[in-house]
Amino acid sequence: MSSTSNAPTGNNRVRIVVATSVMLTFISYWRAAAVILNDLGSSAFYAGGIAEQAIGKSAPWFVLGVMLFAFAVRAVYVESCSMFVRGGVYRVVKEALGGTLAKLSVSALMFDYILTGPVSGVSAGQYIAGLINDTIAIADAHGWIPSAVHRLFHGTPQVGVNGTAVVFAIAVTVYFWWENIKGIEESSEKALWVMQITTVMVVMLIGWSLFTLFKVGGHLPPFPTLANIHYSDESLGFLKHSKLPHMFGVLGLIIGFGHSVLAMSGEESLAQVYRELAHPKLKNLKRTAIVIGVYSFVFTGLVSLLAVMLIPDDVRVKVYSDNLIAGLAMYMAGPQVVRLAFRAFVVVVGFLILSGAVNTAIVGSNGVLNRVSEDGVLADWFRRPHKRFGTTYRIINLIVGLQLFTIIVSWGNIYTLGEAYAFGVVWSFVFKTISMLVLRYRYKGVRNWKVPPNLHLFGVEIPIGLASVGMVLLSTAIVNLFTKSVATVSGIIFSVVFFAIFSFSEKVNRRKHADKAMQMKEQFSLQQAESVERETVGIRAGNVLVPVRDYNTLNHLKWVLERTDTKEQDVVVMSARISQFGTAAYGLSTEQVFSDYEQTLFTRAVSVAEGFGKKISLLVVPARDPWSAIAQTAHNLESSAVVAGVSSKMTTAEQAFNLGSAWEAIPEPKRQFLLQIVQPNAAVDTFRIGPHSPTMKNEDVVMLHRLWLKITQEPGLENVHHHDILTEALTRFEKAYSERDREEIVNELRQNANSGPLPIRRIADQVPTVQPDAARPDREEAPRDGNPPIPSTTNN
Amino acid sequence: MSLSVLFVKILEVMFVAGWIGSAIVLVLTGVEDVGTLLDRKDENSH
Repeated sequence: MSSTSNAPTGNNRVRIVVATSVMLTFISYWRAAAVILNDLGSSAFYAGGIAEQAIGKSAPWFVLGVMLFAFAVRAVYVESCSMFVRGGVYRVVKEALGGTLAKLSVSALMFDYILTGPVSGVSAGQYIAGLINDTIAIADAHGWIPSAVHRLFHGTPQVGVNGTAVVFAIAVTVYFWWENIKGIEESSEKALWVMQITTVMVVMLIGWSLFTLFKVGGHLPPFPTLANIHYSDESLGFLKHSKLPHMFGVLGLIIGFGHSVLAMSGEESLAQVYRELAHPKLKNLKRTAIVIGVYSFVFTGLVSLLAVMLIPDDVRVKVYSDNLIAGLAMYMAGPQVVRLAFRAFVVVVGFLILSGAVNTAIVGSNGVLNRVSEDGVLADWFRRPHKRFGTTYRIINLIVGLQLFTIIVSWGNIYTLGEAYAFGVVWSFVFKTISMLVLRYRYKGVRNWKVPPNLHLFGVEIPIGLASVGMVLLSTAIVNLFTKSVATVSGIIFSVVFFAIFSFSEKVNRRKHADKAMQMKEQFSLQQAESVERETVGIRAGNVLVPVRDYNTLNHLKWVLERTDTKEQDVVVMSARISQFGTAAYGLSTEQVFSDYEQTLFTRAVSVAEGFGKKISLLVVPARDPWSAIAQTAHNLESSAVVAGVSSKMTTAEQAFNLGSAWEAIPEPKRQFLLQIVQPNAAVDTFRIGPHSPTMKNEDVVMLHRLWLKITQEPGLENVHHHDILTEALTRFEKAYSERDREEIVNELRQNANSGPLPIRRIADQVPTVQPDAARPDREEAPRDGNPPIPSTTNN
Repeated sequence: MSLSVLFVKILEVMFVAGWIGSAIVLVLTGVEDVGTLLDRKDENSH
């Protein structure tokens, strides 16, 4: 063991290397756009209907205006990300306006995030209930409903739309609650797939609508003038009995704009995905912003416009205001059965994207609360990991509890939910933009891009563009305070309660952390490192990496220590501090990464090592995905083996597959290593991660040998080796695969794969060196001869 | 002019001036966006 190990130092303190950069897998701008559009695009399903209920038939112009203005808001986010890699609302407001306003802004953001779930779930439920009712009504019109059923329901059987929506929203929320408790991983792959299906629907919807307009004609909605804005009873809120809204034309425009502003909810995700964007980051962020801007303008803006042009006035608000796109599908030119089928497709897409938004709401809220909790603003109690799944279940329970409460209280009223939702959306934008304005004068660091135009007068920069965006947002937010009474009351109550919780927790934590810091000083010495390097950790190449998560299951660490001579081979115990989606958008300090939990975990690990009288090195790595963290750390530390415990959520083969996939994502050049998964009964499953010699079937070996015998008979080929034949065969195979015979080869492989082993073994092939168990040919019993099973170097 | 009317007037001026400025932002960033879209260098579309 090198002298710089993380064993107890002279004063009995254990050195722990804490990496402060989150280990991420980077994604392309298309995937980033898909992730954002899963949230931003979902508002197309309800924003138009809510706006029309509030301000009348000219609403689509306001929705289009909001979508246009969203391009300018995006520019604010691009500037903030060009300053801070983690440029979310909390970070930016804290930097500019201090902790108090940051807490207030994050409370508004939480209101936005928490309401995303109910509004999306209820909207999806409304689409489903609407489809059921219309299908029954059509069946009834054709006389397909038996008269007995008719009599039973006193007419055409119908489901209660709001009740069904509530039941559906509760079911979806509970489903994603459980998924989040288990710790599902957010996948950009899934987001991309949902957006591909949505794009098919959008193209069909717009194409068919234009064809219908060409065939049957249509009129543009009335332009947004004071005369054309028809306020509903609820849309004026506290100004219901005031003459003001009817006196000023521009005020009417602000009210209309304020009722449509929820169409751009989801923009905050732009700052959250930035951290994970591939190089060149800023350029890719701009590309992402263009993609989401154009897409949401076409989808949300154009679809709202077409709906007013095609759906007759007498049914649009009365029947379809809560499921506008479904109504649009029903008023296309074509046979009724085809329209109904398309509507069903709309409902399926709506279900996918809106359910995804329910999940995004839980994941996003969890990410934000985790972040503020790491900053000491929320009590550590909330962050205690789930015993089995390791997730921050208390935070998830709190979020889902609030969402279920909101769903039940609103009883499926999408209008009320949408109105309240707009409060969080607009105020988080206001805080963000004002902070960016302040930072124009206070921030002295690198800033790669600025919102144009900027005027320079007497050496002072005047940020005209940024100030303009801020003025639109602030005036809209202030007017919304007066016109959206439900949103104002509920938003203020929510924000004040959250603000109080944050402030109280912060005070308690400050005292507690002072004690903790004292304890920590006595026990551990934290060494901060931007990235994980072998030299920083102070270990030699060929070490063994031991990921740990639960301090109650450290059997695999004991297994390693039993078999490893730490004088010859270093053992590194690593804890991946998982940051949820969105948390990566914020900076982490050493104390945030090394929390109470890590302290307990490492105290146990050190105690185990002391039991064996052996030294271990300790490392904490923040990460979005545990597999990437392990693969990247093993790669950086030049580990020869990773020894892990059994997961409660997946089989050992799945664990190996996940690690193998993460290894594949590491850029070349990279090292292979061995993965050993220790079962509770000390049996071990061993896998090689990375390319390695495949396990050959006996008949293949015989075939190779037969070929070798024949070939060496040829004149001049007497010295050919078996591997020469394999090289020639593989070179020819590669050529055939990349040229003419690809399809044939793929079909044959597919047939073989269907009768062969699990595809999971593609990346992480198991090593069948010892086969004690016929049912599990890959199972290797822990050797009992005392020899370490972990090679100090791996040479595949 | 009552206080509420003055307040509304201020909000209206903010909104209109803000929209004019935002329109300039849209035009300027739009021109830059076209350049970003045409620049295929470093593009990674996986």
